[in-house]
Amino acid sequence: MSDTNTVNTLERLANLLRIHSIQSTQEANSGHPTSCSSMAEITSVLFFNVMRYDPKDPRNPAADRFVLSKGHCAPILYAAWAEAGAFPVSDLTNLRKINSDLEGHPTPRLNFVDVATGSLGQGLGFACGMAYAGKYFDQSDYRVYCVLGDGECSEGSVWESFAFGSFYKLDNLCAIIDVNRLGQSDPAPLQHDMETYRKRVDAFGWHPIVVNGQDVTQLLAAFKEASETKDKPTCILAKTFKGSGLKGIENELDWHGKPLGDKANEIIAHLRELVNEKTLVRPQISKITAKVAEIKKDKEIKLSSPPNYDGKKEVATRLAHGTALEKLGKGCEYVIALDGDTKNSTYSIKFRDALPKRFIECYIAEQNMVQVAIGVASRQRYITFVHTFACFLLRAADQVRMGGISFTRTKYVGSHAGVSIGEDGPSQMALEDFAFFRTIPNIVCFYPSDAVSAERAVELAANYDGAVYIRTSRPNFPILYKNDEVFEIGKAKIVVESSNDVCTIVAGGVTLHEAMKAAEKLKGVGKAVRIIDLFTIKPIDRDTILKSVNATHNRLVVVEDHYPEGGLGEAVMGALAGQTNVKVIHLAVKEVPRSGKPAELLSKYGIDAEHIANAVEKLV
Amino acid sequence: MAAISRATIKLCGSHAGCSIGADGPSQMALEDLAMMRAIHGSTVLYPSDPVSTVKLVDKMYSIEGVSYMRTTREKTRVIYKEDETFEIGGSKVLRSSAGDMVTLIGAGITLHECLKAHEELLAQGIHARVIDLYSIKPIDAKTLATAARETGTLIVVEDHWVEGGIGDAVLDAFTPKGPVTRGGKVAGLDTLPKVVKIAVRDMPGSGTPEELMDAAGITASHIVATVKSLV
Repeated sequence: MSDTNTVNTLERLANLLRIHSIQSTQEANSGHPTSCSSMAEITSVLFFNVMRYDPKDPRNPAADRFVLSKGHCAPILYAAWAEAGAFPVSDLTNLRKINSDLEGHPTPRLNFVDVATGSLGQGLGFACGMAYAGKYFDQSDYRVYCVLGDGECSEGSVWESFAFGSFYKLDNLCAIIDVNRLGQSDPAPLQHDMETYRKRVDAFGWHPIVVNGQDVTQLLAAFKEASETKDKPTCILAKTFKGSGLKGIENELDWHGKPLGDKANEIIAHLRELVNEKTLVRPQISKITAKVAEIKKDKEIKLSSPPNYDGKKEVATRLAHGTALEKLGKGCEYVIALDGDTKNSTYSIKFRDALPKRFIECYIAEQNMVQVAIGVASRQRYITFVHTFACFLLRAADQVRMGGISFTRTKYVGSHAGVSIGEDGPSQMALEDFAFFRTIPNIVCFYPSDAVSAERAVELAANYDGAVYIRTSRPNFPILYKNDEVFEIGKAKIVVESSNDVCTIVAGGVTLHEAMKAAEKLKGVGKAVRIIDLFTIKPIDRDTILKSVNATHNRLVVVEDHYPEGGLGEAVMGALAGQTNVKVIHLAVKEVPRSGKPAELLSKYGIDAEHIANAVEKLV
Repeated sequence: MAAISRATIKLCGSHAGCSIGADGPSQMALEDLAMMRAIHGSTVLYPSDPVSTVKLVDKMYSIEGVSYMRTTREKTRVIYKEDETFEIGGSKVLRSSAGDMVTLIGAGITLHECLKAHEELLAQGIHARVIDLYSIKPIDAKTLATAARETGTLIVVEDHWVEGGIGDAVLDAFTPKGPVTRGGKVAGLDTLPKVVKIAVRDMPGSGTPEELMDAAGITASHIVATVKSLV
């Protein structure tokens, strides 16, 4: 296994990867060659000995997975795949150019990258998701490897992932921390205190192995030990030097993120001698031996049975969501649900009770939960639905943002929207969630106002080839739609309409029902209004809104259980941006709310039926 | 949670937008204005040159609650004289004439693109007002209302996604604030002006700052093309 020939070849390949990292960043005049250098031996050993994969078929579902959590080392990742045969080595000089997919930080525009990294602290969580899927869903032998930087281990999300990995006994997962001592602007806090790293990793239930990270023999032995360690994941703590192998730069501060400039040529010349490419025999890439079952994808995913409400009882959309999720899971075997210890509030518990093997309890660690969901969803084998209170999803905003860069199809479900939750108070209320979620490119944002539409939202979400956000509510709402009503993404519903409507009201969730009560009040004084249930805030049904506004004397009231910025109001106004002559009153929550009964809060913050009716009267 | 705690903290986010260049989208803030605007009681500032940056940081010292300043990686020209003053909730009208046919609104790096566009348009006989909207929240609704009234169309250019940023802030300035009570007058109820939003719509990749801004359509040439299609 570890004979001199093998070791020598891997050492030379490591230096070849160093040369590519230097040259590509030199050409781009930006990038991180010193960070790449410290992990050159790690990369060489993984790509040319340990990992089982097919460079011509990088997305093979039975292959080992690799996540570069320290995403700024993209140049060495690209170099490894090029040398393995995935694309021509000459392409490496296109690093960071606008017409090349070899971006500054890796994204899945490249077929050998599963998840975008570059925002530190997230990769281990993605790897946990992949490993969890491998062990429990695919029940396959493929392994997952993740390289982290030492600086990024200050991120709390990394330790959420460590806790998750050991709790779920992910022994198919191997993390490698490239402890090169230096961060971006200063040394990392633990510098080369390997013993403290070892104790921390051990305390989190992983098997630690401390090695000299520039020593191929030690790395080979460590990976072998990892593969033989059962019931706990392994973390290799590799003591390295930033800029290792680069004369005069190794272990020096102030070289983070800088190409080598006029030092490059001399260093490359020296490395070339060590590589001696003329006599270098590249090893065979280890073949894939794992097996995965084929997952038959349905052309259309359906709920196992349609919505079934008698219209008499009021039902909360969060409960309807739970019902629908269970039916979706029964109708489709590759739907997975996750929750952050709120499953009996978000009602993902219904899925858990019916299909326990496809539910992942992530505990109160939302950043990692989102990371795991994105990891499970990679290579498009499974569809993941993530649940917690909408306000707590914001904790994972950067993960969701990076998920957007990964083009993930993860569906985010945030419950307990707005002041309508009542007594728990503002720390539990989402009043800014749409402002964030609307910004994710191509995301669909659902805001169902009753149980029937909430169930269909789940079904539509599963079939949408992209990220989704569903905002659910805590209070019980009357049923608005018939059980066989058809819903579409980007299509609003007009729920109240007449031929002499004096104003249009656009609302969603609790405010939709307040608007309907307002309509009753206004009927009493001879005023008829048109009410639109948007259903999807993004994409927004511009045509329906515009037609309605034009037909109602260009008068519009938008009312939302959300702060004024970034929610329904701005979505609607954005849709009307090219129009003139429209008068808009925007009702939203304009101060930090407090505890109280839901009805009291709706009134206090000006978004209840009375305030809506007043607004209409003002406009008319 | 800081807003719920009524905490006073001053935040600064650098490397805004696609204009950072080759590092790519993982390092670009394209949704920060949306998020920070939605924090209750926040102040959101986006200076376009060194002088206004220094002056606004000074102003941040006394702001209560959560305040946020967005800064730019690229070097930009100095626009303002050192004795210029800047107010929270203010703006600067940098170019203005009686014959303005459109208003260009920018902040940070896009303000410079608006100024370049202004010159190109002037050479073709088209007058455009230019506003530096350095205070995104609170916003200078008065100046915006005047511009809408006098020039008809507001073109907002931002290095940010189209949702929740400067464009939406401008639209939001035209709806009344404060609860609507029975019998009272609704302050500031006016019709929505014509607003055109020029923002980042597709996921950027790596490239030079100029290439990325051009690909996103937020450079002077795109602004000029948009104006000409409207007037």
